[in-house]
Amino acid sequence: MRNASETLELERALTGARWLTAARVIALLALAAVLVVFPQTTKVGYLLSTGVVILNYAVTATGWNFMGGFTGYISLGHAAYFGLGAYGTGILVVKAGISPFLALALAALIVAVIAVPIGIAALRVRGASFVIVTIAFVLILLLMFQSMGSITGGSGGLSLPRPFPDLIRTDHHRTFYYIYLGLLAVMLLAWWAIDRSRFGMGLKAVREDEDKARSLGVPTTGAKLVAFILSAFFTGLGGGLYALWFGDLDPVFQFSIMMGAYMVLMALLGGVRSLFGPLLGALVVGMAIEFFKAQYGDTQFHLVATGLLLAVVVLFMPEGVIPAVKGLFARFGPQASSIREISAADLAAERDAEEASKP
Amino acid sequence: MSLFVQSLILGILLGGLYALLASGLTLYFGVMRVVQIAHSAFLILAAYLAWFFATRTGLDALLSLVITVPLFFVVGVGLQRLLITRLKPATLTMMSVLLTFAIALIIEGMLGFVFTGVQRRIHFSYGSASVPLFGAEVPVVKLVAFALAVLALGALWLILKKTGFGQALRATIQNKEAAQLVGINTDRVASYGFGLGLATAAVGGTALAMDATIYPSLHWHWIGPLMAIIVVGGLGSVPGAAIAAMVLGISQSLLQIPLGTTWAQTVFYVALFVTLMVRPQGFFGGRLAQRF
Repeated sequence: MRNASETLELERALTGARWLTAARVIALLALAAVLVVFPQTTKVGYLLSTGVVILNYAVTATGWNFMGGFTGYISLGHAAYFGLGAYGTGILVVKAGISPFLALALAALIVAVIAVPIGIAALRVRGASFVIVTIAFVLILLLMFQSMGSITGGSGGLSLPRPFPDLIRTDHHRTFYYIYLGLLAVMLLAWWAIDRSRFGMGLKAVREDEDKARSLGVPTTGAKLVAFILSAFFTGLGGGLYALWFGDLDPVFQFSIMMGAYMVLMALLGGVRSLFGPLLGALVVGMAIEFFKAQYGDTQFHLVATGLLLAVVVLFMPEGVIPAVKGLFARFGPQASSIREISAADLAAERDAEEASKP
Repeated sequence: MSLFVQSLILGILLGGLYALLASGLTLYFGVMRVVQIAHSAFLILAAYLAWFFATRTGLDALLSLVITVPLFFVVGVGLQRLLITRLKPATLTMMSVLLTFAIALIIEGMLGFVFTGVQRRIHFSYGSASVPLFGAEVPVVKLVAFALAVLALGALWLILKKTGFGQALRATIQNKEAAQLVGINTDRVASYGFGLGLATAAVGGTALAMDATIYPSLHWHWIGPLMAIIVVGGLGSVPGAAIAAMVLGISQSLLQIPLGTTWAQTVFYVALFVTLMVRPQGFFGGRLAQRF
């Protein structure tokens, strides 16, 4: 039998959990509302375009997290898929004359197909070698796109016509803002669905201990490859959308290692294990980047600042800012004193189950 | 024919430089299971210090090695003691890549700050001289850079093979726990090994600056080939890295004749992907290398 104080404790724990869920839902709705309403509140082109840029960061960081978050394989070269998506869309529109959004979908599919052999090669190794391969892939693409001038425009760049020619500039930004927001919502939904699925469980097992996961029968190679392709596909979509929005491509910017580094920084800062981590990181880091660019122009300073921030995140909060802050608060709160890490409520439930199973 | 000989000789000279640069990376990986992305940023830093020394004092830039080698050794020891050891062992390899990547960004940004993005070149009194070698004209600066690389590699070999410290270092690389059991202070050995690796970057950077125009973002051009070399050779294998460096350096130089400079660079990446498909642990690495 359960005594009165234990019942009280169980109820308190349940209400606490319910409150936390409610708070989370409210915070989420508030964030979504802010994101949806933001473009209606301003007519300033600069603010709108900054909003698009930050959503672009959020899309790429979330796309990165399909690989980095689930499997723990950190790719510093996801700019490759962004650039391929952007150039794929651009070339299909300019050279083949395909309509913009069809070109976008085709380009993203092409990126997914390209990611298959790259993924098979890269996933044969783990850890550091994997990172090396991803960096190498960006560098090789940069070289190729710079030298194939006749197709890609080379260093001179590639210009796209606007997909909505009759829209004025602010409306152009506003439209793309909502398209980006829609893409982000779809990606978050997909991430959430995978997170709860058996497939996602396998991927997370790879992250925690690949050898054990394999020995337990998780098809690690196939699972990693699927996550890799999915990640490349979404990042490619982000790149293609960027090409349609910005309308001007340059190999140096599309295949820049810095862009890959930003994705990693944003995802790590926000927390790779949580659904909204990369979005949070993109909001914080993206705003900081845009602020510094507006204040100080394109100086070498952003390299140093990015480097310092990345070093701090890697050294002090590799799990992301939320667990780090939680840990800080936990220091001042009551310390966990019991050696058995099990609450009274759990114990009571366990005892009840035991009693119920007795004949 | 003379073009071929010329390219072959230049390829060998280049391969020697690559071998030195890759040996540092191999050392870091051996002692700490760390891949040092910032290695090439430190190369460029050393090159800038050599240039700064030469323009300020008017002396030969090679003399800057007297300062940069000990300085880089100390920086390397500090880097390992203060930063790398703070990382969690479980994710050390992956996180060390990110940490050293951050260091590379900081170095690049600071170089741009202090020396601006202007392209620099060190001037030598023998800068434009060349000597005939097997019917080919070889610039003196390239020969000096190669000699520097060979000297540094020789010194590294002597340290590793003939000194007590070198023995301890190799023991730490082969089996850390066993090395601890026989009384080696592996922490200290690892940090000295890290310092030694960075000291090779000082030599390599100076050699590199002898016949190249330097600018802050140059390190991206070096990191790819160097990383490809250590993966092809097999992470952690010094002879493997040296052989891969030679083979790839010569291939790059020879491929420049039909393909031009840009496409010849892709030989590193092709080699990297072929290695991963055929032999993921590298051609000279053990089975272990695949896991890092």
